[in-house]
Amino acid sequence: MSRRLRRVTRYVDALLRDRRPPRGAQDPDDLQALAAAVDLSSTRPQAGMPDPRFVERLEARLREHAGGDVRMERRVTRRGLLQAGGLAAAAAAAGVVVDRAVEHGGPSSTPDTLAVNGGDWHPVVAADALPAGGMVRFSTGKVEGVVVNRGGGEFLALSAVCTHLGCILQLNAAESRLDCPCHRAAFGPGGDVLYHEQPTALRPLPRIPARVRDGQVEVNVV
Amino acid sequence: MDVTEPSPRPLRLGVVDGMAPPDWEAVYRDNIASIYRLMYSKVGNQPDAEDLTSQVFLGALPHLRPGASGGEVHRYLLATARTVLANHWRRHLGVQLTTLDEEVAAADADAEPTGEEPASRRVQRVRRVLGALPANYRTILELRFLSGCSLRESAARMGISVGNAKVVQYRALRRAAELGQETGS
Repeated sequence: MSRRLRRVTRYVDALLRDRRPPRGAQDPDDLQALAAAVDLSSTRPQAGMPDPRFVERLEARLREHAGGDVRMERRVTRRGLLQAGGLAAAAAAAGVVVDRAVEHGGPSSTPDTLAVNGGDWHPVVAADALPAGGMVRFSTGKVEGVVVNRGGGEFLALSAVCTHLGCILQLNAAESRLDCPCHRAAFGPGGDVLYHEQPTALRPLPRIPARVRDGQVEVNVV
Repeated sequence: MDVTEPSPRPLRLGVVDGMAPPDWEAVYRDNIASIYRLMYSKVGNQPDAEDLTSQVFLGALPHLRPGASGGEVHRYLLATARTVLANHWRRHLGVQLTTLDEEVAAADADAEPTGEEPASRRVQRVRRVLGALPANYRTILELRFLSGCSLRESAARMGISVGNAKVVQYRALRRAAELGQETGS
């Protein structure tokens, strides 16, 4: 009891000073009490409005995020951010397992497969609506992908996340390729790397399980 | 890309084109206050609210689809906030996801009316709970949270020891939580 009392007291003290509360698992019986403290804390008259300096700082970070290559490598946070949006993080967030064909060493020319963990088949586009050689982007909010008609009734689904730093690729229909808006790199309709300017090779785009069912191209994602 | 609208089926994925992302500055301007308030209402302190708000915008920005409506963008930000908050609580409090889902669903409801002050309903609920507490419980919470008194000052005003004030505060919070649940929060 005294330990729980101390923990809750420290938690409340931190809230009332508008500081970060101590970390660590709390007794399950006290969680609701802590939630009540948060409720009380957040209804104080001065609470809940963002500090204008924070708003400006975050806006500057977002501007940097949306900006061009020049500023991209300046800050570690930028790199971390992009990696956080990258394949591994995206796959983890989506409950998808990256099934690597090659477990060791550097990039391979063999594409990974985004094997689905708890996923389901979702229709993206009618098979006859996508001409041979055509590509269409899709998004689940967690998985960014592209469906490609390879011709001869073969449809392919690929991740639309650059294997360099995790930028979302942009469809370049005219050139039948996917361009990375962050650094100069492009991927072909088979997921292969067309070109890049990185010192080390990039992996091809991972494949997402796809099939045609009832005239619909379906992909297996969460 | 010439893509016809396929026949309606459940859970169809959103087809997006390869155009530039939407105007993120407008998205930011329209949503920063409500997302921050939502986060603050769930964590109750500025540093965590700022961290989590940053994670929401930095995480959501690359995934915003061109042409998405304001409502769609807001819902996507809320969905991102749900994930960010769930991760935060699981990491720092050991709270299970199932609890969080309900919690954040309520938060979504709070935050949904973008033009409305989302705290107003919470303030009313807190006032109701405070009003239903035994006098000494209500007093310590009012002194601490509304008057900004330290534990020592609160104890002095209540004529009790600091140690007792800690116990009364703890029990008051537990009782407030029970009342909050009884009144349907």
